[in-house]
Amino acid sequence: MKAVATIAEEHAIMAAAAQPSIGSEVQVQQVSMSYKRGRQTVPVLDRIDLEIQAGEFLALVGPSGSGKTTLLNLIAGLDQPISGTIITAGTDLASLSAGELAKWRSCTIGFVFQMYHLIPVLTAFENVELPLLLRPLSRKQRREHTLAALELVGLADRSSHYPSQLSGGQEQRVAIARAIITDPEIIVADEPTGDLDGKSADETLNLICTLNQDFHKTVIMVTHDLRAADRAHSQRHLEKGVFTD
Amino acid sequence: MKFLLLIAKHLRRNRVRTVSTVLALASCVFLFCTMRTVLQSVDESLHNATDSRLVTRNAMGWIFNLPMACKAKIQAVPGVVRVSGVTWFGGVYKDLKGFFPNLAVDAEPYLAMHPKYRLSEESRKAFLDDRRSCIVSRSLAQTFGWQVGDTFQLQSFIAPFRTKTPFAFVVRGIFDTETGSDQLMLFHFSYFYENTGEKLGPTTYAIEIADASQAGAISKDIDSRFENSGTQTHTETEAAFGASFISLAGNLSFLLQAITVAGTFTVLLIIANTMSMSVRERQSEIAILKTLGFSNGSVMALILGEALLIGVSAGVIGVFLSRELVGALPQFPLIGNLILSSRSRGLSLAVASTGFAVALLVTLFAGLGPAVLAYRSRIPSSLRGV
Repeated sequence: MKAVATIAEEHAIMAAAAQPSIGSEVQVQQVSMSYKRGRQTVPVLDRIDLEIQAGEFLALVGPSGSGKTTLLNLIAGLDQPISGTIITAGTDLASLSAGELAKWRSCTIGFVFQMYHLIPVLTAFENVELPLLLRPLSRKQRREHTLAALELVGLADRSSHYPSQLSGGQEQRVAIARAIITDPEIIVADEPTGDLDGKSADETLNLICTLNQDFHKTVIMVTHDLRAADRAHSQRHLEKGVFTD
Repeated sequence: MKFLLLIAKHLRRNRVRTVSTVLALASCVFLFCTMRTVLQSVDESLHNATDSRLVTRNAMGWIFNLPMACKAKIQAVPGVVRVSGVTWFGGVYKDLKGFFPNLAVDAEPYLAMHPKYRLSEESRKAFLDDRRSCIVSRSLAQTFGWQVGDTFQLQSFIAPFRTKTPFAFVVRGIFDTETGSDQLMLFHFSYFYENTGEKLGPTTYAIEIADASQAGAISKDIDSRFENSGTQTHTETEAAFGASFISLAGNLSFLLQAITVAGTFTVLLIIANTMSMSVRERQSEIAILKTLGFSNGSVMALILGEALLIGVSAGVIGVFLSRELVGALPQFPLIGNLILSSRSRGLSLAVASTGFAVALLVTLFAGLGPAVLAYRSRIPSSLRGV
């Protein structure tokens, strides 16, 4: 994203600048994951293989406890597998230190969660601006980018509102604005409609589809909602740590 | 700057908790700075051996009177220039709110040995000529709106000094002092002596000596002359007398320092607990910050930044309050003299800086545990904990 004079111009430039990438965006090879509960080891993923193309919109579906969120976390660099290789956006995540991984996440991945996870003491504007604080941008540049992102999700007029003053759907749109503020290649969404009513869920899905279609973002979405999964290009069904399709 | 605003926003999350934490630490800094200043002044006074004024009191304690005959004997000691009886009268004007230091003194020698009380020659003569008269400091005169020629009455709260009818005084002069804020009244000892039935001698004798370096030897000489009398004396420099007055509770210095350390340690535990609670409540937010690209180190720095901001606020408030109190101390007898006789004549930069540093260190130590907790927290488990 480049600094531009007006928000409308920035939208146009963002859409024009977003070129579809070619090739694999995510490669998951023989990945296994387990958690320790006391002395017991609980297996979550068992030698998973997955390939996601750039610009793809993939829905990960499956029952609770099947390992969907764990797989999403591994792809997004929030956790590390006990074995196997994950290459996301051309980077082998195992080769990065914790600090490098944090920096990589801020540039490459946009996160959308079921519970929105906005910081309650910050306004909508400040929540969206948060990832930009790590960038060498002036206050004016940060303001322009933030307003552009809020405009994109239709909430520019709510920029001074706190999360408690917004509806669930609006909070999720603010979270989406925060996810795209750094112009990441990949959007990961963990049950983005799980806490929303039908209308708000549709609005959120429309927004995610726009990011995928108009801005060529690769979207990986975990969902229980079959209607939401139908909006994706492809679906993979996970059960007890393995793909069943 | 951008992170400072973020830190400030987090501190505003629970204002009552933040304000009470800051005030707890500020009171600790206030206590530390004030105690250090007083104790430093006491130390300086105790080590001040070149004071040219001595104080002789009853060896049993400063509340016991001395015989009138002592004056002539002290006056006869080689090296003594002049002697004045001094009694802390404890007079109260109207009610206890109208309490101020008032001393019964032998006017002529007392004024001669205290040139810091600046009085016009005319007022001085009028004061010396009138046994019922008194002189008051300008600050005291302003407090009660007194002018030369005004009359008023005082009744002492000290039982032996209480009389059927209050002492009546007429203001014959208003004197200026070094600080301009001293609240003091001086009146004739002879008036006090007669009104109390000519039985009570002064509680102390103020003595001016010719050579300050001889203070120790002269003190010994004076006390040796009363060694075998019915009233043994204890003589020391005026500053040391003030210090001993303050330290009358025994090893007050040690006690005060122990209280200060205990208070500081308690506040450290309170702040550590508060910060831990604050971080635990925000586990998911910390996980979100890390998710968005904040490194473990920068999250740790944010938590320590919050702690330091509390420390800076508390340090500023504590030092300011201490400066105000220490600035007001010279209005009080004895302790005021101690403060004024110290090198810094108030809260020194060194004490203020140390107090400020204590505030920062306490918050840094208190914030270290929660900051490490935030540093080590794992994103997936913190997000699941919501």
